[in-house]
Amino acid sequence: MDAMQELGNIGAAHAATTLSQMLSSPVEMSVPKIKVVDVAQLANHIGEESAALVVFELQGEIPHGGYIIIYISRKSAVQLTNTMLGLTDPDRPLNEMDESALLEIGNIMASAFLDATAELLGFIMLPSPPVLTIDMAHAAMQSLIAQMQEEIDEVMLFSTELVCEEHKIDSDLIMMPETSMLKTFVERLENLMKSG
Amino acid sequence: MNGNGMTDPSFQNRMPVMIGIGEYHVGSEPMMAIGLGSCIGLTIYDRDHQIGAMVHIMLPDSSGRSDRPGKYADTAVPLLLDKLSEKGCRKASLVVKMAGGACMFEYFGNNLNIGERNAEKVRAILAENHLRIVAEEVGGKSGRTVAFYPDDGGKVTVRSADGAAHEI
Repeated sequence: MDAMQELGNIGAAHAATTLSQMLSSPVEMSVPKIKVVDVAQLANHIGEESAALVVFELQGEIPHGGYIIIYISRKSAVQLTNTMLGLTDPDRPLNEMDESALLEIGNIMASAFLDATAELLGFIMLPSPPVLTIDMAHAAMQSLIAQMQEEIDEVMLFSTELVCEEHKIDSDLIMMPETSMLKTFVERLENLMKSG
Repeated sequence: MNGNGMTDPSFQNRMPVMIGIGEYHVGSEPMMAIGLGSCIGLTIYDRDHQIGAMVHIMLPDSSGRSDRPGKYADTAVPLLLDKLSEKGCRKASLVVKMAGGACMFEYFGNNLNIGERNAEKVRAILAENHLRIVAEEVGGKSGRTVAFYPDDGGKVTVRSADGAAHEI
């Protein structure tokens, strides 16, 4: 578990750096949390609030490895694109330009996360093209869980909060691995610790 | 009466029973399943007894699993019918409604539209039991929250992310 947390830490730190560069502003990162959530209790962790989720499937050596999700509350999503696009109205509706910006931000963050973790583990993980949804967060997560390769009653979520106080932006970087990917992580990490 | 809980004074005193993925509930009190994507919220109301049952279905087929019957369409429908039957409900007085079954991620879904398959399976199993759905709101790309009020005539309301609730 400690090693997994360290893995998440390294990945998220790289993602935080890229976000910070894009915003030209400091980004604080929480300690990565590993949560094992029974699907029946998912609503206790992710509610029905409207949020922007940029979703990638984990591909590469393991073709369907799970998902990387960049979760941004609706309010934060507007703040984020406002900062990037030089706009100021915090209550405006999100438009196509915002969607492109969110996809791009998500892409850069997910790539940074995966590059860093893949380098550490020594195997290739690639993000699929991103998909953006701005909708009930629980509905989006539930849909992803339903289409996972291996049917599960519990899902493992690696979650790291990334916060930019200056622009009031709060986001969550979530990795939801398939069982096969999780096994590979554990094997690789054990090997690393033996050799290290 | 409008379906928006915030303006309905009786809602304040009646916290609904929250039904998580794969869970179900039988009774007369309000019930709710939040954030349905490809999942289905299925409600069955008994007009004679003013009670109802609701289940939050995630996948179409149990493939023989029996530990979480509410999770799969093929086991969830008989489960609700059995539970209502135990309470003395007759099939002829049941009112069935369904919401959910969206396809939020077409790209990842490939050729397996789970939402649609869930809805089809529910309809098929109901048909085997000589029941049909009187109202439904399924498909599309958006998430839904479904509330069920057996003690209010079996009213079912659906709300999407923009907050507008309506009765189906």
